[in-house]
Amino acid sequence: MTTPVRFDYADAPAGRAEGSRLAYLPIALSHGTHVLAVAGLLDTGSTVNVLPYPLGLQLGFVWEQQPTEVHLTGSLARLPTRGVIVSGQVASFSPVELVFAWTQETDVPIILGQVNFFMEFDVCFFRSQAAFEVNPKA
Amino acid sequence: MSLTELIPDIKMLERADKLRLMQLLVVDLAQEEGIPLLSADTEYPIWTPLDAFAAGDTLLRMLQTHQGEP
Repeated sequence: MTTPVRFDYADAPAGRAEGSRLAYLPIALSHGTHVLAVAGLLDTGSTVNVLPYPLGLQLGFVWEQQPTEVHLTGSLARLPTRGVIVSGQVASFSPVELVFAWTQETDVPIILGQVNFFMEFDVCFFRSQAAFEVNPKA
Repeated sequence: MSLTELIPDIKMLERADKLRLMQLLVVDLAQEEGIPLLSADTEYPIWTPLDAFAAGDTLLRMLQTHQGEP
């Protein structure tokens, strides 16, 4: 049994409204010898995790070597996408394998969605307090 | 020209022009305050892959295959 870790919503840029604050989760992604400390957007409406193109390269992935094609919806549907698997670690919890839709889009946040971030972690949002808690699945 | 002088002319404007004037003033004020407004000429991407169930199935199968490898 683990204790949930609490995070604050990301501060809105100066001059932006309170409603622009979002739940960005600090997470370490690793693949082979490559490790990246990033902030992923917790997006319960997203069916999948999404990895922007530059971060996939920084994790050592080679586009041509990823055989699994994935077809996304919305604005990301217009660009090719491949499946990649990385190790993700939140706080001091044990690392878990996360599968991402690696898009060729560059101007997109890391999205943590239902497959499979929310299948691995329980998340409780306290929006009125601008905070959320994360705990590995039981 | 003062506002007092302008008001009679504004009142004589057609309804559509009054609305355009209001819109112009709102946009001007918002820009001065640095408040972003939606524009009809701009595309606003929705990054969330909503209901991308085929993609979800594909990625889950990929993960299961990977985890089943020795």
